[in-house]
Amino acid sequence: MLAGFSTHIFWEALSSGPFWRGALLALELTIVSFVVAIVLGFFLAIGRSSKSRTVRGGVFFYTWIFRATPTLLQLLFVWDALPQIWGVFRQGWFTPFLAAAVALSLNEAAYMAEIVRAGLLSVDPGQELAGRALGMSRARILRRIIVPQAVRIVIPPMGNEFITLLKLTSLASVISVTELLTAAQNFYASTFSYAEAFAAAALYYLVIVSVLMAIQSRIEKKFTWTSRGRPRRETVPVPAISHDAR
Amino acid sequence: MSELRADNLHMRYGDLEVLRGVTFAVEPGEVKVIIGPSGSGKSTLLRCLALLEEPESGDVSLEGRRPQPGEIGMVFQRFNLFQNMTALENVMCGLVEVRRLSKRDAREQATEFLARVGIVDKAGQYPDELSGGQQQRVAIARALVMRPKAMLFDEPTSALDVELVREVLDVMESLAREGMTMVVVSHELRFAHHVASSVLMMDEGRIVEEAPPDEFFSAPKEERTKRFLSLVE
Repeated sequence: MLAGFSTHIFWEALSSGPFWRGALLALELTIVSFVVAIVLGFFLAIGRSSKSRTVRGGVFFYTWIFRATPTLLQLLFVWDALPQIWGVFRQGWFTPFLAAAVALSLNEAAYMAEIVRAGLLSVDPGQELAGRALGMSRARILRRIIVPQAVRIVIPPMGNEFITLLKLTSLASVISVTELLTAAQNFYASTFSYAEAFAAAALYYLVIVSVLMAIQSRIEKKFTWTSRGRPRRETVPVPAISHDAR
Repeated sequence: MSELRADNLHMRYGDLEVLRGVTFAVEPGEVKVIIGPSGSGKSTLLRCLALLEEPESGDVSLEGRRPQPGEIGMVFQRFNLFQNMTALENVMCGLVEVRRLSKRDAREQATEFLARVGIVDKAGQYPDELSGGQQQRVAIARALVMRPKAMLFDEPTSALDVELVREVLDVMESLAREGMTMVVVSHELRFAHHVASSVLMMDEGRIVEEAPPDEFFSAPKEERTKRFLSLVE
Protein backbone atom coordinates (compact mmCIF):
# COMPACT_ATOMS: atom_id res chain seq x y z
CA MET A 1 0.00 0.00 0.00
CA LEU A 2 2.64 2.49 1.04
CA ALA A 3 5.88 1.63 -0.60
CA GLY A 4 8.59 1.34 1.99
CA PHE A 5 6.26 1.38 4.99
CA SER A 6 6.09 -2.02 6.55
CA THR A 7 2.94 -2.70 8.52
CA HIS A 8 4.67 -5.67 9.97
CA ILE A 9 7.54 -3.61 11.40
CA PHE A 10 5.04 -1.02 12.59
CA TRP A 11 3.18 -3.67 14.61
CA GLU A 12 6.42 -5.03 15.86
CA ALA A 13 7.39 -1.60 17.17
CA LEU A 14 3.95 -0.92 18.57
CA SER A 15 3.79 -4.13 20.55
CA SER A 16 7.41 -4.11 21.70
CA GLY A 17 8.27 -3.78 25.38
CA PRO A 18 10.31 -0.56 25.05
CA PHE A 19 7.42 1.32 23.40
CA TRP A 20 4.91 0.11 25.91
CA ARG A 21 7.20 0.97 28.82
CA GLY A 22 8.13 4.26 27.17
CA ALA A 23 4.48 5.22 26.94
CA LEU A 24 3.94 4.29 30.55
CA LEU A 25 6.97 6.30 31.61
CA ALA A 26 5.80 9.34 29.63
CA LEU A 27 2.41 9.06 31.29
CA GLU A 28 3.94 8.70 34.74
CA LEU A 29 6.18 11.69 34.18
CA THR A 30 3.20 13.71 32.97
CA ILE A 31 1.00 12.79 35.92
CA VAL A 32 3.70 13.44 38.52
CA SER A 33 4.64 16.81 37.02
CA PHE A 34 0.98 17.74 36.54
CA VAL A 35 0.03 17.06 40.16
CA VAL A 36 3.08 18.82 41.59
CA ALA A 37 2.49 21.77 39.24
CA ILE A 38 -1.12 22.14 40.38
CA VAL A 39 -0.13 22.22 44.05
CA LEU A 40 2.75 24.60 43.40
CA GLY A 41 0.63 26.68 41.02
CA PHE A 42 -2.08 26.99 43.69
CA PHE A 43 0.35 28.51 46.17
CA LEU A 44 1.84 30.76 43.49
CA ALA A 45 -1.68 31.93 42.61
CA ILE A 46 -2.46 32.68 46.26
CA GLY A 47 0.93 34.38 46.59
CA ARG A 48 0.21 36.65 43.66
CA SER A 49 -2.55 38.34 45.60
CA SER A 50 -0.57 38.39 48.86
CA LYS A 51 -0.40 41.53 50.93
CA SER A 52 3.39 41.22 51.18
CA ARG A 53 5.34 42.85 48.38
CA THR A 54 8.17 40.37 48.85
CA VAL A 55 5.86 37.42 48.24
CA ARG A 56 4.31 39.08 45.18
CA GLY A 57 7.77 39.92 43.87
CA GLY A 58 8.94 36.35 44.43
CA VAL A 59 6.00 34.94 42.51
CA PHE A 60 6.60 37.39 39.66
CA PHE A 61 10.29 36.44 39.53
CA TYR A 62 9.50 32.73 39.51
CA THR A 63 6.95 33.05 36.72
CA TRP A 64 9.26 35.28 34.73
CA ILE A 65 12.19 32.85 34.93
CA PHE A 66 10.21 29.78 33.98
CA ARG A 67 8.16 31.33 31.22
CA ALA A 68 10.95 33.30 29.57
CA THR A 69 13.45 30.46 29.19
CA PRO A 70 13.12 27.34 27.02
CA THR A 71 11.85 24.21 28.73
CA LEU A 72 14.69 22.21 27.17
CA LEU A 73 17.21 24.56 28.75
CA GLN A 74 15.52 24.16 32.15
CA LEU A 75 15.60 20.40 31.78
CA LEU A 76 19.29 20.36 30.91
CA PHE A 77 20.00 22.81 33.70
CA VAL A 78 18.38 20.58 36.30
CA TRP A 79 20.09 17.45 35.03
CA ASP A 80 23.58 18.78 34.21
CA ALA A 81 24.07 22.07 36.05
CA LEU A 82 22.50 21.30 39.43
CA PRO A 83 24.94 18.43 40.14
CA GLN A 84 27.80 20.76 39.18
CA ILE A 85 26.65 23.36 41.70
CA TRP A 86 25.53 21.10 44.56
CA GLY A 87 27.15 17.83 45.47
CA VAL A 88 23.91 16.30 46.75
CA PHE A 89 22.63 16.04 43.20
CA ARG A 90 25.68 13.99 42.19
CA GLN A 91 24.40 10.93 44.00
CA GLY A 92 22.51 7.90 42.73
CA TRP A 93 19.07 9.01 43.93
CA PHE A 94 19.02 11.87 41.42
CA THR A 95 17.81 9.87 38.43
CA PRO A 96 17.02 11.24 34.96
CA PHE A 97 13.33 10.62 35.67
CA LEU A 98 13.48 12.65 38.86
CA ALA A 99 15.39 15.44 37.12
CA ALA A 100 12.81 15.53 34.35
CA ALA A 101 9.96 15.53 36.88
CA VAL A 102 11.54 18.42 38.79
CA ALA A 103 12.14 20.50 35.66
CA LEU A 104 8.72 19.88 34.16
CA SER A 105 6.91 20.48 37.48
CA LEU A 106 8.67 23.77 38.10
CA ASN A 107 8.09 24.85 34.52
CA GLU A 108 4.44 23.84 34.44
CA ALA A 109 3.71 25.47 37.81
CA ALA A 110 4.44 28.87 36.28
CA TYR A 111 1.66 28.32 33.74
CA MET A 112 -0.63 26.57 36.19
CA ALA A 113 -0.47 29.58 38.54
CA GLU A 114 -2.15 31.75 35.90
CA ILE A 115 -4.90 29.20 35.30
CA VAL A 116 -5.57 28.69 39.00
CA ARG A 117 -5.65 32.43 39.55
CA ALA A 118 -8.09 32.97 36.72
CA GLY A 119 -10.22 30.16 38.12
CA LEU A 120 -10.32 31.62 41.63
CA LEU A 121 -11.10 35.09 40.29
CA SER A 122 -13.90 33.74 38.11
CA VAL A 123 -15.96 32.78 41.16
CA ASP A 124 -18.53 35.46 42.01
CA PRO A 125 -17.31 37.49 45.03
CA GLY A 126 -20.84 37.18 46.40
CA GLN A 127 -20.06 33.55 47.18
CA GLU A 128 -17.29 34.50 49.58
CA LEU A 129 -19.45 37.23 51.09
CA ALA A 130 -22.25 34.75 51.80
CA GLY A 131 -19.75 32.37 53.39
CA ARG A 132 -18.42 35.12 55.62
CA ALA A 133 -21.94 36.17 56.58
CA LEU A 134 -22.45 32.62 57.88
CA GLY A 135 -19.29 32.99 59.93
CA MET A 136 -17.12 30.61 57.88
CA SER A 137 -13.37 30.98 58.05
CA ARG A 138 -11.42 32.01 54.93
CA ALA A 139 -9.85 28.57 54.62
CA ARG A 140 -13.23 26.84 54.77
CA ILE A 141 -14.74 29.24 52.26
CA LEU A 142 -11.85 28.50 49.93
CA ARG A 143 -12.12 24.74 50.37
CA ARG A 144 -15.88 24.25 50.36
CA ILE A 145 -17.09 27.02 48.09
CA ILE A 146 -14.48 28.74 45.95
CA VAL A 147 -12.19 25.90 44.92
CA PRO A 148 -15.01 23.51 43.88
CA GLN A 149 -16.48 26.25 41.70
CA ALA A 150 -13.11 27.26 40.28
CA VAL A 151 -12.45 23.64 39.30
CA ARG A 152 -15.29 23.81 36.80
CA ILE A 153 -13.62 26.75 35.12
CA VAL A 154 -10.08 25.41 35.11
CA ILE A 155 -10.76 21.91 33.78
CA PRO A 156 -10.57 22.82 30.06
CA PRO A 157 -7.34 24.86 30.27
CA MET A 158 -5.82 22.28 32.62
CA GLY A 159 -6.68 19.56 30.13
CA ASN A 160 -4.70 21.53 27.56
CA GLU A 161 -1.80 21.78 29.97
CA PHE A 162 -1.87 18.04 30.54
CA ILE A 163 -1.56 17.44 26.80
CA THR A 164 1.22 20.00 26.50
CA LEU A 165 3.03 18.36 29.39
CA LEU A 166 2.66 14.91 27.85
CA LYS A 167 4.28 16.18 24.68
CA LEU A 168 7.00 17.98 26.62
CA THR A 169 8.02 14.67 28.20
CA SER A 170 9.59 13.85 24.82
CA LEU A 171 12.24 16.45 25.68
CA ALA A 172 13.35 14.16 28.48
CA SER A 173 14.78 11.86 25.81
CA VAL A 174 17.83 14.18 25.74
CA ILE A 175 18.65 13.32 29.35
CA SER A 176 18.25 9.60 28.70
CA VAL A 177 14.80 9.09 30.18
CA THR A 178 13.59 6.05 28.26
CA GLU A 179 10.24 7.51 27.29
CA LEU A 180 8.43 7.08 23.98
CA LEU A 181 10.73 9.13 21.78
CA THR A 182 13.77 7.33 23.16
CA ALA A 183 12.04 4.03 22.43
CA ALA A 184 11.50 5.15 18.84
CA GLN A 185 15.09 6.33 18.49
CA ASN A 186 16.44 3.06 19.87
CA PHE A 187 14.17 1.19 17.50
CA TYR A 188 15.29 2.92 14.32
CA ALA A 189 18.92 3.00 15.41
CA SER A 190 19.09 -0.75 14.82
CA THR A 191 16.47 -1.18 12.07
CA PHE A 192 16.55 2.17 10.20
CA SER A 193 12.73 1.97 10.12
CA TYR A 194 12.15 5.64 10.90
CA ALA A 195 8.58 5.80 9.61
CA GLU A 196 7.36 2.77 11.53
CA ALA A 197 9.11 3.84 14.75
CA PHE A 198 7.71 7.40 14.69
CA ALA A 199 4.25 6.19 13.66
CA ALA A 200 4.17 3.76 16.57
CA ALA A 201 5.24 6.47 19.02
CA ALA A 202 2.71 8.89 17.55
CA LEU A 203 -0.08 6.34 17.95
CA TYR A 204 0.74 5.97 21.65
CA TYR A 205 0.52 9.74 22.12
CA LEU A 206 -2.77 9.82 20.23
CA VAL A 207 -4.25 7.06 22.36
CA ILE A 208 -3.17 8.67 25.65
CA VAL A 209 -4.56 12.07 24.63
CA SER A 210 -7.85 10.54 23.46
CA VAL A 211 -8.32 8.69 26.73
CA LEU A 212 -7.50 11.89 28.58
CA MET A 213 -10.12 13.84 26.63
CA ALA A 214 -12.75 11.26 27.53
CA ILE A 215 -11.79 11.49 31.21
CA GLN A 216 -11.87 15.29 31.03
CA SER A 217 -15.44 15.39 29.74
CA ARG A 218 -16.47 13.04 32.56
CA ILE A 219 -14.88 15.29 35.17
CA GLU A 220 -16.55 18.32 33.60
CA LYS A 221 -19.94 16.66 34.01
CA LYS A 222 -19.19 15.86 37.62
CA PHE A 223 -18.53 19.52 38.33
CA THR A 224 -21.68 20.70 36.62
CA TRP A 225 -24.20 21.27 39.34
CA THR A 226 -27.57 20.11 38.21
CA SER A 227 -29.69 17.43 39.83
CA ARG A 228 -30.81 16.06 36.49
CA GLY A 229 -28.33 14.62 34.04
CA ARG A 230 -28.79 17.29 31.40
CA PRO A 231 -25.84 19.49 30.61
CA ARG A 232 -26.16 22.95 32.02
CA ARG A 233 -25.77 25.95 29.79
CA GLU A 234 -22.13 26.35 29.05
CA THR A 235 -20.36 28.53 31.57
CA VAL A 236 -17.68 30.14 29.51
CA PRO A 237 -14.68 31.40 31.46
CA VAL A 238 -14.80 35.03 30.55
CA PRO A 239 -11.65 37.10 30.87
CA ALA A 240 -12.18 39.96 33.29
CA ILE A 241 -11.74 42.62 30.64
CA SER A 242 -14.84 41.67 28.70
CA HIS A 243 -16.97 42.44 31.74
CA ASP A 244 -16.16 46.09 31.31
CA ALA A 245 -16.19 46.30 27.54
CA ARG A 246 -19.81 46.27 26.52
CA MET B 1 -30.50 47.26 76.40
CA SER B 2 -30.68 47.51 72.64
CA GLU B 3 -30.52 44.36 70.64
CA LEU B 4 -28.44 45.59 67.72
CA ARG B 5 -26.64 48.93 67.67
CA ALA B 6 -24.41 50.96 65.42
CA ASP B 7 -22.60 53.85 67.08
CA ASN B 8 -21.28 56.74 65.07
CA LEU B 9 -20.14 54.65 62.09
CA HIS B 10 -17.79 56.26 59.61
CA MET B 11 -16.73 54.59 56.41
CA ARG B 12 -14.81 55.78 53.41
CA TYR B 13 -13.87 54.19 50.08
CA GLY B 14 -10.99 56.24 48.80
CA ASP B 15 -12.27 59.79 48.54
CA LEU B 16 -15.88 58.78 48.92
CA GLU B 17 -17.39 59.14 52.37
CA VAL B 18 -20.07 56.48 52.41
CA LEU B 19 -21.05 56.68 56.07
CA ARG B 20 -20.75 59.98 57.92
CA GLY B 21 -21.59 59.14 61.48
CA VAL B 22 -24.51 56.74 61.52
CA THR B 23 -26.02 55.91 64.89
CA PHE B 24 -28.81 53.45 64.86
CA ALA B 25 -30.46 50.84 67.07
CA VAL B 26 -32.97 48.05 66.66
CA GLU B 27 -34.80 46.76 69.71
CA PRO B 28 -35.75 43.08 69.97
CA GLY B 29 -38.66 42.28 67.68
CA GLU B 30 -38.48 45.57 65.81
CA VAL B 31 -38.45 45.78 62.04
CA LYS B 32 -36.64 48.77 60.61
CA VAL B 33 -36.90 49.54 56.93
CA ILE B 34 -34.25 51.75 55.38
CA ILE B 35 -34.91 53.64 52.17
CA GLY B 36 -32.81 56.11 50.26
CA PRO B 37 -31.19 56.75 46.89
CA SER B 38 -28.40 54.54 45.63
CA GLY B 39 -25.05 55.54 47.05
CA SER B 40 -26.65 56.80 50.25
CA GLY B 41 -24.80 54.19 52.32
CA LYS B 42 -27.70 51.79 53.05
CA SER B 43 -25.90 48.67 51.89
CA THR B 44 -22.66 49.70 53.55
CA LEU B 45 -24.50 50.18 56.81
CA LEU B 46 -25.93 46.65 56.55
CA ARG B 47 -22.55 45.21 55.71
CA CYS B 48 -21.05 46.89 58.73
CA LEU B 49 -23.84 45.48 60.91
CA ALA B 50 -23.18 42.02 59.46
CA LEU B 51 -19.44 42.47 60.17
CA LEU B 52 -18.72 41.99 56.48
CA GLU B 53 -16.97 45.34 56.49
CA GLU B 54 -14.96 46.97 59.20
CA PRO B 55 -16.01 50.60 59.66
CA GLU B 56 -13.27 53.20 59.80
CA SER B 57 -14.53 54.29 63.17
CA GLY B 58 -17.52 53.54 65.33
CA ASP B 59 -18.86 50.34 66.83
CA VAL B 60 -21.33 47.63 66.07
CA SER B 61 -22.72 45.78 69.05
CA LEU B 62 -25.27 43.13 69.85
CA GLU B 63 -26.62 43.12 73.39
CA GLY B 64 -23.70 45.32 74.33
CA ARG B 65 -20.95 43.09 72.93
CA ARG B 66 -19.41 42.24 69.61
CA PRO B 67 -21.61 39.84 67.59
CA GLN B 68 -20.40 36.26 67.13
CA PRO B 69 -20.20 34.61 63.69
CA GLY B 70 -23.66 33.55 62.53
CA GLU B 71 -25.49 35.62 65.15
CA ILE B 72 -26.58 38.16 62.57
CA GLY B 73 -28.16 36.70 59.45
CA MET B 74 -27.70 38.40 56.10
CA VAL B 75 -29.78 38.09 52.95
CA PHE B 76 -28.32 39.55 49.76
CA GLN B 77 -29.89 41.20 46.78
CA ARG B 78 -28.46 38.58 44.44
CA PHE B 79 -29.16 35.65 46.79
CA ASN B 80 -25.53 34.42 46.66
CA LEU B 81 -26.49 30.80 47.14
CA PHE B 82 -23.50 28.50 46.93
CA GLN B 83 -23.65 27.33 43.32
CA ASN B 84 -21.95 24.02 44.00
CA MET B 85 -24.49 22.93 46.61
CA THR B 86 -28.12 21.89 46.49
CA ALA B 87 -30.75 23.96 48.31
CA LEU B 88 -30.51 21.57 51.26
CA GLU B 89 -26.70 21.64 51.32
CA ASN B 90 -26.79 25.44 51.23
CA VAL B 91 -28.90 25.49 54.36
CA MET B 92 -26.80 22.77 56.02
CA CYS B 93 -23.53 24.53 55.24
CA GLY B 94 -23.39 26.91 58.20
CA LEU B 95 -24.45 24.21 60.65
CA VAL B 96 -21.78 21.81 59.43
CA GLU B 97 -18.92 24.22 58.74
CA VAL B 98 -19.43 26.76 61.51
CA ARG B 99 -21.51 25.08 64.22
CA ARG B 100 -19.79 21.71 63.61
CA LEU B 101 -23.03 19.73 63.73
CA SER B 102 -23.12 16.20 62.35
CA LYS B 103 -24.44 15.88 58.80
CA ARG B 104 -27.48 14.04 60.12
CA ASP B 105 -28.50 16.71 62.62
CA ALA B 106 -27.75 19.44 60.12
CA ARG B 107 -29.89 17.76 57.47
CA GLU B 108 -32.79 17.45 59.90
CA GLN B 109 -32.68 21.11 60.90
CA ALA B 110 -32.08 22.31 57.36
CA THR B 111 -35.10 20.37 56.12
CA GLU B 112 -37.21 21.92 58.84
CA PHE B 113 -36.17 25.43 57.79
CA LEU B 114 -36.68 24.72 54.11
CA ALA B 115 -40.20 23.68 55.06
CA ARG B 116 -40.66 26.96 56.92
CA VAL B 117 -39.94 28.95 53.76
CA GLY B 118 -42.19 26.56 51.83
CA ILE B 119 -39.58 25.06 49.57
CA VAL B 120 -38.81 21.64 51.01
CA ASP B 121 -39.79 19.97 47.73
CA LYS B 122 -36.83 21.66 46.04
CA ALA B 123 -34.28 20.44 48.57
CA GLY B 124 -32.29 18.44 46.03
CA GLN B 125 -32.18 21.16 43.37
CA TYR B 126 -29.15 23.31 42.61
CA PRO B 127 -29.49 27.12 42.63
CA ASP B 128 -29.30 27.16 38.83
CA GLU B 129 -32.51 25.18 38.68
CA LEU B 130 -34.52 27.45 40.99
CA SER B 131 -36.38 30.65 40.23
CA GLY B 132 -35.13 33.86 41.80
CA GLY B 133 -37.91 33.80 44.37
CA GLN B 134 -37.11 30.23 45.33
CA GLN B 135 -33.42 31.02 45.57
CA GLN B 136 -34.09 33.96 47.84
CA ARG B 137 -36.26 31.83 50.11
CA VAL B 138 -33.49 29.25 50.35
CA ALA B 139 -31.09 32.08 51.18
CA ILE B 140 -33.43 33.20 53.98
CA ALA B 141 -33.57 29.63 55.32
CA ARG B 142 -29.77 29.42 55.15
CA ALA B 143 -29.50 32.48 57.39
CA LEU B 144 -32.38 31.49 59.71
CA VAL B 145 -31.08 28.01 60.43
CA MET B 146 -28.18 29.60 62.32
CA ARG B 147 -30.81 30.98 64.78
CA PRO B 148 -29.62 34.57 64.38
CA LYS B 149 -30.56 37.25 66.90
CA ALA B 150 -31.25 39.63 64.03
CA MET B 151 -31.75 39.38 60.29
CA LEU B 152 -30.51 41.89 57.73
CA PHE B 153 -32.00 42.11 54.25
CA ASP B 154 -30.17 44.03 51.53
CA GLU B 155 -32.75 44.82 48.83
CA PRO B 156 -34.00 41.24 48.95
CA THR B 157 -36.56 41.64 46.17
CA SER B 158 -34.96 44.06 43.75
CA ALA B 159 -33.31 41.36 41.65
CA LEU B 160 -36.59 39.47 41.31
CA ASP B 161 -39.16 39.36 38.54
CA VAL B 162 -42.27 41.24 39.64
CA GLU B 163 -44.41 38.14 40.04
CA LEU B 164 -41.85 36.54 42.37
CA VAL B 165 -41.58 39.44 44.81
CA ARG B 166 -44.68 38.44 46.79
CA GLU B 167 -43.45 34.99 47.85
CA VAL B 168 -40.32 36.49 49.35
CA LEU B 169 -42.15 39.33 51.09
CA ASP B 170 -44.62 36.79 52.53
CA VAL B 171 -41.77 34.87 54.13
CA MET B 172 -40.35 38.12 55.53
CA GLU B 173 -43.72 39.20 56.88
CA SER B 174 -44.30 35.97 58.72
CA LEU B 175 -40.79 36.23 60.11
CA ALA B 176 -41.61 39.70 61.39
CA ARG B 177 -44.84 38.45 62.96
CA GLU B 178 -42.88 35.76 64.80
CA GLY B 179 -40.90 38.55 66.43
CA MET B 180 -37.63 38.43 64.51
CA THR B 181 -35.51 41.54 64.82
CA MET B 182 -35.03 42.80 61.27
CA VAL B 183 -33.30 45.54 59.32
CA VAL B 184 -34.49 45.74 55.75
CA VAL B 185 -33.12 47.89 52.97
CA SER B 186 -35.95 47.94 50.47
CA HIS B 187 -38.10 50.16 48.32
CA GLU B 188 -41.16 47.97 48.78
CA LEU B 189 -43.09 50.80 50.39
CA ARG B 190 -46.22 48.75 50.96
CA PHE B 191 -44.17 46.23 52.89
CA ALA B 192 -42.60 49.06 54.88
CA HIS B 193 -46.02 50.55 55.63
CA HIS B 194 -47.43 47.20 56.63
CA VAL B 195 -44.61 45.60 58.59
CA ALA B 196 -42.08 48.19 59.73
CA SER B 197 -41.85 49.48 63.29
CA SER B 198 -40.14 52.48 61.84
CA VAL B 199 -38.86 53.69 58.52
CA LEU B 200 -35.52 55.42 58.02
CA MET B 201 -34.43 57.70 55.24
CA MET B 202 -30.74 57.68 54.38
CA ASP B 203 -28.95 60.17 52.20
CA GLU B 204 -25.25 60.91 51.66
CA GLY B 205 -24.10 58.65 54.45
CA ARG B 206 -26.48 59.96 57.09
CA ILE B 207 -29.84 58.99 58.51
CA VAL B 208 -31.93 62.06 57.71
CA GLU B 209 -35.22 60.95 59.18
CA GLU B 210 -36.69 58.14 61.21
CA ALA B 211 -40.37 57.77 62.04
CA PRO B 212 -43.15 55.18 62.41
CA PRO B 213 -44.47 54.28 58.93
CA ASP B 214 -47.79 56.18 59.23
CA GLU B 215 -46.04 59.36 60.12
CA PHE B 216 -43.14 58.76 57.76
CA PHE B 217 -45.29 58.32 54.69
CA SER B 218 -48.12 60.73 55.41
CA ALA B 219 -46.23 63.57 57.05
CA PRO B 220 -42.48 63.38 56.41
CA LYS B 221 -40.65 66.24 58.11
CA GLU B 222 -37.55 66.48 55.99
CA GLU B 223 -37.51 68.05 52.56
CA ARG B 224 -35.15 65.28 51.34
CA THR B 225 -37.62 62.57 52.37
CA LYS B 226 -40.54 64.33 50.67
CA ARG B 227 -38.59 64.65 47.46
CA PHE B 228 -37.50 61.03 47.52
CA LEU B 229 -40.99 59.69 48.31
CA SER B 230 -42.51 61.72 45.51
CA LEU B 231 -40.10 60.07 43.09
CA VAL B 232 -40.57 56.51 44.36
CA GLU B 233 -44.33 56.41 44.75
